[in-house]
Amino acid sequence: MALREQLKKMILEVLPGVDCVIGWGAGYDALHAAPLFMRAPEDVERFLSGPLGAFGAVQNPALFLPELAGKKIGLVVKGCDSRSVVQLAAENLIKREEVVIIGFPCEGVIDLHKLRNKLAAHFVVNEPGGVTAVNLAGDHLALTAGGQEYTFKRDEIMADKCPRCREPNAVISDCFAGIERRADNIADDYEDIAALERMSLEDRFRFWEQEMSRCVRCYACRNACPLCVCRDHCAGASRDPHWLTQADSTRDKFMFQLIHTLHLAGRCTGCGECQRACPLGIPVLLLKRSLGRAVEEMFDYRAGLDTEAKPPLLTFRVEERKIKEREW
Amino acid sequence: MRIGVFICHCGSNIAATVDVPEVAAAARRMPEVVYASDNMYSCSEPGQQAIVEAIQAHNLGGVVVASCSPRMHEPTFRKAVERAGLNRYLFEMANIREHVAWVGKHKRANTAKATELVLMAVEKLRLNRTLAPRKIPATRKVLVVGGGVAGIQAALDCAEGGLSVVLVEREPSIGGKMSKLDKTFPTIDCSSCVLGPKMVEVAQHEHIDLHAYSEIVSVTGYVGNFAVTIRKKAAYVDWEKCTGCGLCMERCPSLKAHDRFNEGIGATTAINIPFPQAIPKKATISAAHCIRLKTGKCGACAKACPSGAIDYEDQDREFTVTVGAVVAATGYDLTDWKVYGEYGAGRYPDVITALQYERLLTASGPTQGRIKRPSDGKEPKTVVFIQCVGSRDPSVGRPYCSGFCCMYTAKQAIQTKEHLPDSQSYVFYLDIRAPGKGYDEFTRRAQEEYGAAYVRGRVSMLYPIKTPDGEKLLVRGADTLAGSQVEVEADLVVLAVGAGAAEHAPRLAEKLRIPYDAHGFFLEGHPTLKPIETNTAGVYLAGACQGLKDIPASVAQGSGAAAKVLGLLSRGELESDPQTAGVNLTRCTGCGKCIDICPYGAVQELEVRGKPKAGVIEAVCQGCGLCTATCPQGAIQLSHCTDNQILAEVEALCRC
Repeated sequence: MALREQLKKMILEVLPGVDCVIGWGAGYDALHAAPLFMRAPEDVERFLSGPLGAFGAVQNPALFLPELAGKKIGLVVKGCDSRSVVQLAAENLIKREEVVIIGFPCEGVIDLHKLRNKLAAHFVVNEPGGVTAVNLAGDHLALTAGGQEYTFKRDEIMADKCPRCREPNAVISDCFAGIERRADNIADDYEDIAALERMSLEDRFRFWEQEMSRCVRCYACRNACPLCVCRDHCAGASRDPHWLTQADSTRDKFMFQLIHTLHLAGRCTGCGECQRACPLGIPVLLLKRSLGRAVEEMFDYRAGLDTEAKPPLLTFRVEERKIKEREW
Repeated sequence: MRIGVFICHCGSNIAATVDVPEVAAAARRMPEVVYASDNMYSCSEPGQQAIVEAIQAHNLGGVVVASCSPRMHEPTFRKAVERAGLNRYLFEMANIREHVAWVGKHKRANTAKATELVLMAVEKLRLNRTLAPRKIPATRKVLVVGGGVAGIQAALDCAEGGLSVVLVEREPSIGGKMSKLDKTFPTIDCSSCVLGPKMVEVAQHEHIDLHAYSEIVSVTGYVGNFAVTIRKKAAYVDWEKCTGCGLCMERCPSLKAHDRFNEGIGATTAINIPFPQAIPKKATISAAHCIRLKTGKCGACAKACPSGAIDYEDQDREFTVTVGAVVAATGYDLTDWKVYGEYGAGRYPDVITALQYERLLTASGPTQGRIKRPSDGKEPKTVVFIQCVGSRDPSVGRPYCSGFCCMYTAKQAIQTKEHLPDSQSYVFYLDIRAPGKGYDEFTRRAQEEYGAAYVRGRVSMLYPIKTPDGEKLLVRGADTLAGSQVEVEADLVVLAVGAGAAEHAPRLAEKLRIPYDAHGFFLEGHPTLKPIETNTAGVYLAGACQGLKDIPASVAQGSGAAAKVLGLLSRGELESDPQTAGVNLTRCTGCGKCIDICPYGAVQELEVRGKPKAGVIEAVCQGCGLCTATCPQGAIQLSHCTDNQILAEVEALCRC
């Protein structure tokens, strides 16, 4: 049975016991999927109905959980999404028993920024109706836009986070569709961070200055982040404390990204929603990955793997194992 | 806010490298500053009076003083502004001495930096609010850690002052190093005769709760109410039942246990009362040597014990006490002298430490006070004392002088002559340091009346030789006064081994949250003016743990610590510092990150209208700010150091 059919069957089984099941349905065109809230059996027909199937299921549905606290929610998750659920539960931001998790083995998802850049010379991908036909067959994606057909290799338009993903299967689930993908031979070499660090400090600063100057302060990165839970009390918008001015300055924009990054230190699971949601394609995930790597090296800790774990930066210990301050 | 700024010259401390009048002139141009002046000594009586008068004359609503560290004089100035009718928290301090004048020599740069620090303080002050301290009840009980002479003195003085005392000692008996000494300088008093009565008084005092063979596991809480967890180590003897009769020691077949009390001179039994005057006089089994505990066979002591006190199943026990203050009196340990290859690195039995020599001199010691050298039990005719072994030697990381070795070496030379009238002592020394009442006279007596030969110079090496009179140690050194080589054939060599902080002192310091230096000595609040206080409120220091000192000084500091504790707890209540964290409930999402991060357990989860929220226990909060740095929403703020105040300071700095 195809993966989609297996998942639909599971959703139908879960549906009577929950207020709704969140997954992905068709978006405004064939390329774009949108979160789908399934409340009745007939809604399930729309689940992953787009031509990209799970390859297009880019959004992280864990985003909606904290707001829906108190309701019983079914959630279809990729591996990365499941880590967000785990992290939310570990931080008491949701109750594990209020969520029914349906996992599946993720084969990677599309990066629409990459696709957009490849097609940039021809037309604007985001324009509704721009893309008229999409066909994913084997390792190739064919799409028709502006009356012309383009073909891409699947790997070249896949999100960067996917080939290095160590948890393609849901790390926590109540039911699991399909066969788990093996991932024990996959490692994250953090080459993206290393490349950045090879730049001189001045060049790196110029890089960020240039990237952040493009920011339009839409806060899509914040709104898409499943672990950004301050909602109405975001430090970026607060008058008291007044961390940021409302000025459209690169300094304030960069400052916000640094606040976001530090608030996610040891909490970020690297789902990449911030970067995906950015309409300007600013590589803000790099900042979070850099801190994530530091936390992994120093505390042997990766967020979102254990609901009982305490993020190392949210605990106080006189002695840290790897921070040798004294001889005993 | 009408702000007044006072820039201090601190004599020439600040004025030598900072243009103080110029800083004051710059301050007059700062926002909301209506008055600024410079003073020679702001902390002096006229300096404080000038502040009080300016507040009244110019109707000031807030004051900035730029001078030394707030650690030094913040309380002084807070009181001064309060005398003028202002809330004491409408005050800020800029440290232009330690942070500016003492670290930089460039006057223009220093003046600019001082001006910036003043501007930051002004900007912070503009956002200050009035705060009011609360009264919190304090526990009229004190914990004394360490039962050496300093701890004993502190415990007795506190108890006499009416406080309950919990005295914790790591070893099975109190008495510390002094109980191991035969005589004390400069009077050659019998050490145990003067210490013994004090030890007995500790045991008998109704206000002292003595826990020997115990350790501090953890300390939580704060001044007035520390919660201290103590571990009573398994002695395998029920001390309630043990009468200290010593029958068990007579029957114990395990005779080769290390004799800690006698510094390894001779061996002792696995079950052991360390010395006849021990307090408490209770037996302890060394698990490492007890045949029963190692093999399950034996039980001789249990059969011998007339009161059925032996308990092979005994285990460590932990319990918690609440105290209002802590006195740390953990003393010192001898340093490891075996790093010195030139002294044999521990290979020669007749090279011993001065503390081991004390045990040989003592009538109650393993040799009944007869000086017998360890190798063959012969009485030595020639004894060489080597001073500064592990003191004043940067090559082994101990650049400091241990302070008391010159004196005890002279004392031991005198005692050697008294014990063995036909003996000759040689003392190799670097300098004779005897700056105390009657001390220099004492070292002279050792030389002039008792004939000890003092040789100024280091020993380059010593090694065993065979002579017609038997085996000896050839000690080769320099006499730097005569400019010649010296060789002495010694029967016994006594090393004046230098002292360091007690082995586990840094660990205790971490538990007490008091700073310690590179050598493990606890840091006093101020090296000259606060030698007893620490920078942690309610924790005081006594004895060699703060810095090496002899018995009279240790006793004096023990009494000093007791006076501090009695003063602190005399009213039964303390003023809480209102500079604590507070939660904005509408912002708080109840995620509890602040609860996990708080090192003091000062944040708890509350339920407000059915939702989880954080709440700060003000009396427990120390105002460290970890929670405010952790809270993503900025919902938890320090009352006296809000995010906005930090931002105002940073903004001010960026404007400069």
